[in-house]
Amino acid sequence: MNLLLQIWAGYTRLTRRWPGFAAIIPFIPVLALWTAVSEAGVFPRAFFPGPADVVRAFFTLTYKGILPDYLQDSLIRLATGAAVGMAIGIPLGILIGTSRWAHRICWPVLLFFQAIGDIAWLPILLIWFGFGLTTMTFVIVYTVLFPVVLNTVLGVESVPRDLARAALSLGASRARVLWEVTLPGALPNIITGLRNGLGYGWRALIAVEMIVGTSGIGFMMFDARRAGSTVEILLGMIILGLLWYIVDAWVLAPLERVTGQRWGLVTS
Amino acid sequence: MKTLSLRNLGKTYFDPYAGAHVTAVHDVSLDVEPGEFISVVGPSGCGKTTILNMIAGFIPYSKGDILLDGKPVHGPGPERGVVFQSFALFPWKTVLDNVGFGPKMRGVPKAERDRIAREYLALAGLSHAAHRYPNELSGGMQQRVGVVRALANNPSVLLMDEPFASVDAQTRMTLQEELTRIWQERKPTVIFITHDVPEAVFLANRVVVLSKGRVLDEIAVDLPRPRVWDNLVKDDDFKQLSARVLQMVRAA
Repeated sequence: MNLLLQIWAGYTRLTRRWPGFAAIIPFIPVLALWTAVSEAGVFPRAFFPGPADVVRAFFTLTYKGILPDYLQDSLIRLATGAAVGMAIGIPLGILIGTSRWAHRICWPVLLFFQAIGDIAWLPILLIWFGFGLTTMTFVIVYTVLFPVVLNTVLGVESVPRDLARAALSLGASRARVLWEVTLPGALPNIITGLRNGLGYGWRALIAVEMIVGTSGIGFMMFDARRAGSTVEILLGMIILGLLWYIVDAWVLAPLERVTGQRWGLVTS
Repeated sequence: MKTLSLRNLGKTYFDPYAGAHVTAVHDVSLDVEPGEFISVVGPSGCGKTTILNMIAGFIPYSKGDILLDGKPVHGPGPERGVVFQSFALFPWKTVLDNVGFGPKMRGVPKAERDRIAREYLALAGLSHAAHRYPNELSGGMQQRVGVVRALANNPSVLLMDEPFASVDAQTRMTLQEELTRIWQERKPTVIFITHDVPEAVFLANRVVVLSKGRVLDEIAVDLPRPRVWDNLVKDDDFKQLSARVLQMVRAA
C-alpha cells in the first residue's frame, strides 16, 4: 500500500514537471496488448505486425525520404485548405452573424450544403478537376469551411449587445466596433471552429489522398495495401493520430485557452 | 444653456408577442442644466430605461425631440457617455485599455491616452489594477472602471442605467459615496436611472419620478455635500425626502 502511494506520488511529480508524460502513460497498456497479441503468434506476422516492426518501417521510410516527403505534402495541403477555409469562413460568418438579411439568405443554403458530406463531392469533382491538387484542396476547404462559419456566427451572436453599445457610445464607428468588439468577442468560438474544422479536414484529406492521391500519408497507406504491407498501413494510422494529437494539444487547445479563459469568456 | 432637453419625448413600438403597439414612453419633457445630477426613479415598466436608451441613441424615438447642447441627437455618440448595469467592459482589454478606449477612438496617441486613463483610474482608486483584465476584478471594481471609462471621454452628459444594481449592498453604498465624490470633483452632468429610492435621493440634485411613461413629479434635493451614508441615515431631511419619493413611486 505504502509502495503504491509512493509510486503515485512519484507519478504526480513527474507529470507535473513534464505534462507531456501524462499523455504517454495511457498508451502503455495499449502497446503492451498489441505486443502480446503479435508475439503470441495468433496471426501471421505479415498480417499482424508488432510495434517493433512498425518502428523499423518508420526508420526505413524516413531514411528513404518517402515518409518526410509524404508528410510534408499532406501537411501543406491541410494548411492551404485551412487557410483558404478561414479566409472565406470567418468573413462569411461575421457577415451572417451581423446582418439579418445575410442570415436569412445564407443560412438555408449553408445547411443544405453542410449535409452534402465532403466525400460526396468527389465524383463530380473528379469529372470537373480530375485527379489533382484542385480536387483535394476543394474538399479540404469545403470541410474546414462549415465548422468555421457556423462557430463564427455563434461567436458573433454571443457577443453581448451592451459591449457594442458601449463601444459606440465611446465614439467607435461601426467598422471599429467590428474590429474592436465583434471580432475579439467571437475569437474563442472562431478558434473552436478552426479546431473542429482542422480535425474534420485532416480526416477528409486522408480519405481524398487514398482516392485521388499521388502522394501523402493517405496515398502511402492505400499504396501499401496494394503491396500488402500491413506495417506501412499501421505506421500511417499511428502517424495520423500522433500528428493530430500534437497539433491539437500543443497548438489549438492552448490557443483556445489563452483567448477564452484569460478573458473569462469561457469558464474552465 | 441647457445641456440636455427632452421635448415631448415618446416611444411606441410594435410588440410581436402581444400583436399590438405598446407605448413605453408617452410624453416626457425634461431640462437638464450643465453639471446637474438627476436621478430618475419609477416602478419597473415606467419607461425609465427606454428613455435612457433613447438619449444614448441605442433605440430611435417615435415622437418629440432630444436636444443636446441645442442640437438634436440621433444614434449613439461620444458626447453621451453610458455606464451599464452589466458593466459592459471589454473582457479582452486590460483595465487601462478599457479606460483609454474612448480617447483611442478619438485618435489620441497611445502614450497620451495611457496618461489620461491613469489619471482617471487614480480618481477611482484603481491605479493598482491598470494591467489586470476585467474578469480578474470584483463587481464593484469593474463598475468603477465602467464609470471612469465613460468619464475619461469627457462626455457632455453621463447616462447611468441602474449601474449599481448588480453589486452587493455594502459595495453599493461605497460606490454611491465614491460617485458623489467624483461628481463633486469633476461636475459632470449626470442622468442616473434607478429603482432604488434612497439611492436616487442620496446622489441627486433633483429626483424625477416617472409613472407609466410620464413625469409624475420632480423633487429638488438640497442636502449638503459631501454626502456620506453614516451621516445621512440619521438625517431627518434625507429620511423625509426619501419617504416622500418612495410614497410617490409606490402610488405610481
